[in-house]
Amino acid sequence: MTVLNFSLTPEATARVYELLVCLAKFGESVAIEAKSDKLTITALNLSRTAYASFSLDARSFFISYDFHGSPGVKGGDRFTCQLLNKALQSVFKGRANDSRGRESTVERCDVHVQDQPDKTECRLIVKMLCRHGMTKTYRLTYEPTEVMHALFDRNAATQGWKISARVLREYVEYFGPKTEQLDLLAEEGKAIFTSFTEKIQDGKEVLKQPLETAVSIHTEDFEDFHMQESMHIVISVKDFKAIVTHAETLRGSISAHFSFPTRPLQFSYQNSGVHCEFTLMTTGDYRGASSTLNPNFISTRASSRQQSIAPPVAAPSRRTSEMPPPARPFGNKPLSSQSQRAPLKPRSNQAATEESDPDPESLFMPGGDGDQTWDPPNYEQEEEEEMLGWDASNEDPSASFHPTFRDSGTVPRAQKDRQPPTYGSQEGLEPTQRLSQLHGMFD
Amino acid sequence: MRFRASIQNIHTFTKFTASLSTLGHIAWVRLDEKDVRFTVIPEQGTQVWSVLSIDTIFETYTIQSAAPNNTINLEVPIAPLQRALKSAQNAIAANIRLTKKDNIPLLSLTITTMTMNSSAPCGSAGFNGRNGSGENGADGYDAPDEFREESAELFGARGQDRETTVTQDIPIRVLAPASVEGLHEPRCREPDVHITLPNLMQLKSISDRFTKLALSTKTSTRTGFTSSASGPKLELSGNMHGCLRLSLNTDSLRISSLWTGLENPELDPEQNSEGEAGLASHPSTRMKQLGDSTGQSEEGWATVRVEGRDWGRVLSVGRLGGRVIACFCHEHALILYVFIGGNETGVGESVLTYYISSYSA
Repeated sequence: MTVLNFSLTPEATARVYELLVCLAKFGESVAIEAKSDKLTITALNLSRTAYASFSLDARSFFISYDFHGSPGVKGGDRFTCQLLNKALQSVFKGRANDSRGRESTVERCDVHVQDQPDKTECRLIVKMLCRHGMTKTYRLTYEPTEVMHALFDRNAATQGWKISARVLREYVEYFGPKTEQLDLLAEEGKAIFTSFTEKIQDGKEVLKQPLETAVSIHTEDFEDFHMQESMHIVISVKDFKAIVTHAETLRGSISAHFSFPTRPLQFSYQNSGVHCEFTLMTTGDYRGASSTLNPNFISTRASSRQQSIAPPVAAPSRRTSEMPPPARPFGNKPLSSQSQRAPLKPRSNQAATEESDPDPESLFMPGGDGDQTWDPPNYEQEEEEEMLGWDASNEDPSASFHPTFRDSGTVPRAQKDRQPPTYGSQEGLEPTQRLSQLHGMFD
Repeated sequence: MRFRASIQNIHTFTKFTASLSTLGHIAWVRLDEKDVRFTVIPEQGTQVWSVLSIDTIFETYTIQSAAPNNTINLEVPIAPLQRALKSAQNAIAANIRLTKKDNIPLLSLTITTMTMNSSAPCGSAGFNGRNGSGENGADGYDAPDEFREESAELFGARGQDRETTVTQDIPIRVLAPASVEGLHEPRCREPDVHITLPNLMQLKSISDRFTKLALSTKTSTRTGFTSSASGPKLELSGNMHGCLRLSLNTDSLRISSLWTGLENPELDPEQNSEGEAGLASHPSTRMKQLGDSTGQSEEGWATVRVEGRDWGRVLSVGRLGGRVIACFCHEHALILYVFIGGNETGVGESVLTYYISSYSA
């Protein structure tokens, strides 16, 4: 039997609403995972290319937080469920925002989970204790599910930047509402954010093309900046807007971590006991061929401030892994995806850049960060549902499951990277050339 | 073909574009060495033909074209242009130029803004100050405090005069001179009445109210059909004694508003092809003999009927704050001349001309 009770201040209640609004941009439902030290609310989008997670710290975010799992049961150290975002949003909406003079002002918000077999099961009960002794009680039905978390290897993501969310928020405003994609590029001491839409050919339709907006910001305006020159990383404008908009409500600064196009990218920021992480799949290409062979980085990290900036996880290994071996961009990504796709050779050229490339190495796994990954897997029935990959190509289910463990950090990355070259050195050329044929798509 | 200019008056340009955008989606833009012309001809409803002197919105204006008279004709989607200009509201400089990307011609707007980073730490400091003393405890807000100190130091040391560049690319079509040859302003007979309109804000809110009333009474008699031709008609009349009347007649109600004491500008004999003699025989001279300045007489009015919603869109030009002269051709058409930026010396005067045809009663 699981016990989960927690109480929120009016401010925290408003924060919950804000994060729900943000999560709504990613998916219709939210997954909640409670552990003894934190409550995590996540959403995964339909195409499984974007994952958003908000961890609320048990000690600093809540007035009180009480969680007892069911120790005997496997997975009993946590409680997971899923709810419709809309339902939760309507409960938390506007409860603390109208803080002055409104009758309905919330003074405290109590939430508890009703999971006892002798009562109605699967209810999340939210009590809004308002002024004048009024209490509003909401009973929401939840669905017990396994929660998926996107794993992100920060050690592999050697590139990144950090900037004040407020600054970024200002610039996000410039992107047209109809544009779809956002290109991140570092060039000549500037970071260039370009929002664009796939080109419409010609004729009268041209005029319906949304604005293409480029914002170029001095790297000096970033608190930290490190990115390979002329490399294009493409994500969705909509996701980016949602993230920046929420980040601004928490103030502070937003960090991005990434490695290369077609590899996952992570945005993160935290404040007031809320830790936010967004893992997004990227597309894009290495446009400057020369710089790929001899990567040229635009960086502010040479400064002595570096240590205050580097994320805690990667701090020790960072300097050494910062410069990848020159061949790695090509050796790494195209090969691994090629080996997976071998049966379906004549895949269209555009596949690599147009859709988000189903990369087998970046996978979701249940159970979150840290220790569960070391647990022996439960082979009985859970495996099929628990495993979730970026790979949507549906070609070889088993192939997309195994790399889950590779990406989880149990196998040293370098070892894996070095294995394929002998096998695929000729094959590896092919996607390289294809990419170069794609010149002009984003020109 | 080259065109490049720096935008000198972003606010005017933005408001101007906003006014055009209410009437149609696409503007025909004609650029040459003398002026800049924006024309919107929607399939239905009011047309606007505007001529802006170059210095109304631009400075350092360069144009180079193989077409006769160094002219460039473009088709520009108004909404993206408006959006692009909006992002230049706080700019320290904005430039516009004609360019090409992937064979798609573009108007590229380059906007330079000051980096607002230097102010960011101050902003968050204010926030921390407010909240740190509040209920929400010490723990949560510790981190940003650190950040503030660090970044203040960081930016202080590096100076604050960096610029951020924003480029907005507006897709356009370049028109061949032949394709715009046939376009010309509507021709109209000499107006019966010309009068300076009252404050457009006032006129617009009254018009909008009338339209709303007409729409609400109409739903009972007619259903669903909402093309502008079938929309509610407002009757607009003017006389040569400074009176303007706006009225609405439906089956169930008749209302009207009357303005008096408006100005009927004098015609300039030099603008008339027949000089003084032409003025004497001008319809407005005849109309001067009729009616009175209280607006009570039934004589001397020139009347047009306009579609309420279309009229409301026309009146959105009020945001430009120009002087508006309405010319009534009785039962035929209403022509509005909106003069902007003509306060200094009158040389660089710009004018928007709205052609509104009258519906029959």
